[in-house]
This record gives sequence, structure tokens and C-alpha cells, in this order.
Amino acid sequence: MSAAAVAVRGLRCVYPGTARPALADLDLELAQGALAVVMGATGAGKSTLARCLTRLVPCFVPAEVTGDIRLLGEPIHERRVGELAGTIGMVFQDFEAQLFSTDVTQEVVFGLEHTAVPPAEMPERIARALATVGLAGFEGRDPTTLSGGEKQRLAIAGLLALRPPVMVLDEPTTDLDPAGRAEVLRTLAGLRAEGLALLVIEHDTAAAADADLLLVLREGRVVARGAPGALLADVEACTAAGIRAPDTCRVFAALGLPDPPLDVERAAERLRAARVTPKPPRFLPPPRPAGPPLIDVRGLRHRYPTGHEALAEVSLAIRPGEFVALVGRNGSGKTTLAKHLNGLLEPTEGAVRLEGRDLRGLALEALAQRVGYVFQDPDHQLFAATVEEEVAFGPQNLGLAAAEVEARVAEAIAAVGLGERDADPFLLDKGVRQRLAVAAVLALRPDLLVLDEPTTGLDFAEQQKMMALLRALHARGQTIVIITHTPWVIAEYAERVVLLADGRLRYDGAPRQFFADDELLAAAAFRPPDVTRLGRLLGCTPLSVAELVSWMPRRAPCP
Amino acid sequence: MDAPEGAVPLTLYVPAASRLHRLHPVTKVAGLVAFIVAAFVVDRPLALAPLAAAIAALLVPAGGLPNVRRLRVMFVLVFVFSLVVWTLFYGGRFGATWAGFLYGLSTAIRLDTFLAAGILFLTTTRVEEVAYALGRLGLPYIVGFTLTLAFRLVPVFFDAALAVVQAQRCRGLELGRGGIVARLRRFVPILVPVLIGALRRADRMAMALELRGFNSGRPRTTYLRARAGRGDVLAGAVLVVTTVAYVALWGTGLGLLAR
Repeated sequence: MSAAAVAVRGLRCVYPGTARPALADLDLELAQGALAVVMGATGAGKSTLARCLTRLVPCFVPAEVTGDIRLLGEPIHERRVGELAGTIGMVFQDFEAQLFSTDVTQEVVFGLEHTAVPPAEMPERIARALATVGLAGFEGRDPTTLSGGEKQRLAIAGLLALRPPVMVLDEPTTDLDPAGRAEVLRTLAGLRAEGLALLVIEHDTAAAADADLLLVLREGRVVARGAPGALLADVEACTAAGIRAPDTCRVFAALGLPDPPLDVERAAERLRAARVTPKPPRFLPPPRPAGPPLIDVRGLRHRYPTGHEALAEVSLAIRPGEFVALVGRNGSGKTTLAKHLNGLLEPTEGAVRLEGRDLRGLALEALAQRVGYVFQDPDHQLFAATVEEEVAFGPQNLGLAAAEVEARVAEAIAAVGLGERDADPFLLDKGVRQRLAVAAVLALRPDLLVLDEPTTGLDFAEQQKMMALLRALHARGQTIVIITHTPWVIAEYAERVVLLADGRLRYDGAPRQFFADDELLAAAAFRPPDVTRLGRLLGCTPLSVAELVSWMPRRAPCP
Repeated sequence: MDAPEGAVPLTLYVPAASRLHRLHPVTKVAGLVAFIVAAFVVDRPLALAPLAAAIAALLVPAGGLPNVRRLRVMFVLVFVFSLVVWTLFYGGRFGATWAGFLYGLSTAIRLDTFLAAGILFLTTTRVEEVAYALGRLGLPYIVGFTLTLAFRLVPVFFDAALAVVQAQRCRGLELGRGGIVARLRRFVPILVPVLIGALRRADRMAMALELRGFNSGRPRTTYLRARAGRGDVLAGAVLVVTTVAYVALWGTGLGLLAR
């Protein structure tokens, strides 16, 4: 029998200055050509595992590593990272950091040149790697002109050309939109077909469904391992480990049905067979709020200096107290539209008015206290030495008195639930940094709060905290606009969905009507949450698991 | 991430199969140097005109006209600025002079010729080819590699910096207000996230480089394998003749304005 692709025994890893080991007592065996998915909350040790396998820990990040790691039967504890190129590849979340060339072909060539591959062999390897990731025909393109999904696939091709039998992917789809995610997940299937053993770290259970092995980590230890179907069915265990259990599993658990299928069609069949079908109430479209709009966008058209027309004739009124989700594929114009709401961009044609006043004449800095904008990456704005200073920055810029600044800081910090006021922002977890970024904007007391992908890159528990925060703010009367790709966030939290496609408004209305419009969703390539898809197969449009379950008969009838 | 205003590529390279594109990278570097030397040593507009005309004639088949259009503002600015400034200030005194006008005209043509020659070079040469040529000319690999990486990273870096500036302005930061000290202090909220972000990314990039075998301990091979052809011999001959001719124009004073 040939050696396992990856064999780990008793792996333990302790970073200097920390008491709790990042990994402890970890055993793992991955056969050649197998797919393992690793899940768990932030800080569970997922990335540490990936980095130990590639020797980035301890070669790049110092740590005390003990235990035995073998790749294809060979121990690696004395190898350098570079020596293992061609044995194991690793892909990160940050695709920009993995590309070094100004030309697609040269990008793939890079690793070949550095691992002494004879030039005569290169053209075939390049063609094959690009074909496997679906980038055939991209030769000669500048990576700057590629989409996120294309860049990530190019990074994979660069490693693939080295023909490693093992590849580790650390959240390869986190920074991508649904289309990019789908591209990369399809690429994983291609890698499997090439016979690579894959270890994939993912937050989304969708990627785990067809894995050979699911490994759940919690605080550095394996708390569950086995077939994904069985593990994900245990909703409580998933939640405890910081994983959002698949909707079908949560529905089945709530109804007391065993062996939930992960697939929505099969779940619907099972429910029909068990005669557990929903009886939804009649829904009328909710009344649209009346009154003068807070923000009024009329005939907005925006053309970038490159000549690209990002928005064409968009009209939209947002009234006080609304919770709007701005959705659409990357490049559909969402961010361009959002940046017009606070004057970051100026209309090429048309106008944006705030309480009747054209934004064009107003300074961006003055608008900051009317329309708050939280960028996607909190690290684009955090700079101060303490949480308190960070939050005080905005109010101080407004020239407020010290007492008023202090009051606003206290209010904002309390609103987002941050504990230590003198903590160093850079040492906080991503989820906490994201909430700090919200606090920093809240301290300006904006009438409208715009958030660009507030849940991206967070684990499930942190995503829930973020959305609970927004719901609480909304309950206090805060008007909110979020840009998001996450279907359950739209379904469970938004009151109104605005869909953009190619710079035009394609839908503007209630989420339930949005998710019930199959034609529209198909045209926009928008995939509703699994629970909504399950409901649609059973003749209703639920927006959450709780809602669907509440429409089900109280007790499953006996067969 | 949704970035419709996305990074604009820094490179001007136009993938095409023109004869100029197919020249050996070393020939192209030599050509650029020869044109710059030739345009540098003479200053009579009449002597500069053939160089400008030659570059313009080469830009057409190379597919470089869209690049010229992209940078047209620079051409016009450089031309007008040189002409006006030298006409008015020639010889260290204020006042329009004929000699100043001639000198201004030659400087304007010369600078625009430099610009056009640079565009022609970058239109027909990949950054990787430049790196290759530098390697062939005996410079260490790391020089060429750094050059490539810079071209790849500058747009990424500017994108990140733009996002930081926007994020802080959304928090009420006004950059253009107050005295010098106050202004400098206001750059702190911009510089800190930009630098920390760049350092974090550099760290990940160093890891990614090693994972691709950057430090594999094995010898390096090269994919780009330019072979000098008949075109290179011809181009080389033209370059030598041109350079010699222009050095002669300089040496004899025929290419120079009267002082």
C-alpha cells in the first residue's frame, strides 16, 4: 500500500508568549486523492495546522512544534518551506499576496523556474495548470485586470504547475463573491480529478458536503472527525464549535427527524414522504414606509474615468428607519451606488439628495456626521493605540467639546459591546475589529449607516454578533444600508432588498417577494438560503429555519 | 471585494505580434538607450525632428497609439511648459527671446521624444522581459525580480491607500486644513493603516514566494528564451548608425543651437 498523502501524529504547537497550545494532540491521516475539510471558530487552530503542514510554522512564524508530520511517508521536520514546493502547495485567503508577475503565463512560470524544471517541460505544464483552473486563454493577461476569483485560480495554477501531490487551501473563497466562490469550488473538483490530496479550511458547510473527511477543531483540539453528513447533522455540536449547521440539518433537528440529507431536493422529498409539509400564513407585501425620504437618488448615472459605466439610471428613495440590503454580483454597481450616498463619488448625471439637499455642494467631511460608511476591511481605518482613541477620532474631527466626545465614545463602545477601552485595536480578533470599526462610525451619530459586507471574513459566532448589533441599532430607529452577498443575512435581517445588475436596478422590494421570484433569481444568478430553497420546493417562501419550522405541523404524523 | 474603480494596470504592454515585439529584450533595452542618448546630445529642433518622427512611425505598428492617447495630457503639459518657460526665462533673464524660443522648442521635442520612446519600449516589452534583459546584461537576478514585483505591487498598494483615505475622510478627517504641523499630524490616520496593511501583506507574500519554491535550494531555470534573429541584427545596425550619426552631429556642432 502506498503511503498516506498526509500523516500527522501527536502534533502540538505553542506560539511563544501564549499559555494555551494553538494545536494539541492532533492526529490526521489523509489518503492520496482524498478531500478533507477543516472547520472551526476563529482561533481554533485551523491556519496553524495548515502552516505546520507546509513548515511556514515554525520556519516563518516561530513556534514550538512537536509531533510527527509525514508527507507521502517522508518526515518533514528538517525541511525548509522552499524545499517542499512541489510536495505540498498552499493557497491563502489574500489572493493579491500570492501573485508576483504582471503576466498570467509568467505567474505560472515563476515556481517552475525556481524549482529547476527544465524549460522544455514548461509549456505543457503551464497549459495543463491553466486548463485545470479554467484559465486557458488568459495567457498574457495582466493579473491586475482579473477578477478576485480569477486571481485566486491563478494562484492555484501557479502551485499546481509544480505538480504537488498535496495542496492546502486556507479559506480560499472568503474574500470572493458568490460567483468567484463557485469558480474556486469547481476548481477544487478539478484538483481532485487530478488526484491531489486536498485539505481545505472553510467556514461554509457547503464546501464540506462532499468531503471524505470533516475535521472540527476547537481551541486547538479535534472535537469531531468523520463523514460530513453525520457530523453536520449534530446541530448543537456544530453551534458549540462555531459552525453554522446546514439549514436542512437544522430543520430536521427541530422536527425531530433523523439522518438529514445535506441536499435540498432530497430533504424536500424526505419531508413530503414523512408528510411534514408547511402551512404558511398568507403574506401580503408589507406596506412601504411613507413620508419624506432621508436619501433620494434620482436618475443616477456614474461613469468612471476609465469610461466604464458603473451605474445607469438608478432611482431609489430610502426613508428613515429602513433596513436595506444592497445586493448583486461584483461589478454590478453596489459599491459605486453606496459611495454616492455619502458623497465619496459624484454623479456623472442625476442627483443624490439628503433630506432634499443636493449632496454635490456639501463637503465629504461635513457629510460624515449625516451618513456613516463602514468599509469592508476594518484594517483600512484602524490606526489608534487604544479602542477609546479610535472611537474618539471621528467626534474629535467634528470639533466637539471634550465632554461631548466622551459621551459619544461611551455610547458607541457600549452599543457594539466592546469591553476594554484601552485595548490595542491591532491585537483584537477580526470580528471585534469589525465591531470597533462600526463603533468608530457610530460615534459620529449618522442618520444613515452604510456598511460594506459587514460579515465577510468572520466566523459564524462573530457574524451573528455583528448582525445582532445591527438589528439592535435598527430597533432604536437607525436607518441602515448593508452591501452583502450572504443570503441568510438578507433573508433574516433586511426589510428591503435592492438588487443591481449591470448598473441597473433589477429589484426593489420585500425580501420574501424577492426570494419567491425564481425567474429574477435565476437571471441574477442569486442563490437563496437553503431553507428558502427547501421551502420553495414545498410551496412556501420561508426566510429562516425558525419560520419554516413554525409552519410545520406540531407533531410528525405516525407512518 | 467589490472594487469597480479597481486597480488600473501600471504596465503599458500591448500584447501583439509586431516585429518590434519580437525583438530580443536586450535589443529593445539598447534601442531605448540609443534613442535617449541621441536625443540628449543634440539640441537643434531640426536635428531632433527625425528622432521624434522615427519614434512616432514605430509606435503605429507596435500598437502604442492608445497608450499615447492615455498619456496625451502629459505630452501636452511637457511640451507647453518647456516652450513657455524657456522662451520667457532663457539666459537667466525674464523676457521672450528668439534663442529662448528655439531652445524651448528643442527641449519640448526632446522631452516628448523621451516620453514617446519610453512608451514604445513599454508597449512592446513585458516587465518580465526587461528583467530578463537586465539579467542577460549581467545584473543579479534580484534586480530584475524587484522590478517585476514593483510593477505588480504598486497598483495594489495604491488601491489599498485609496481605500484608507476614503475610510478616514468618512470619519471626518480633513487633510487640507491647518498649518504644516497640523497637516502632517493628520496623515497619521492614513499612514498607520497603509503601512501596517503593507507590512502584513509583505509578510504573506514572503510566505507565498517560498511556497512557490523561491528558496528551494535548486538551481534556477528560465522560461523566457529569447534568441536574437535577423531583425535584431538589422535593428542593431540601425541603432549603431543612428548613435554614431548623432554623436557626430554633437561633436561637429551641427546638431547644436548657436550659443
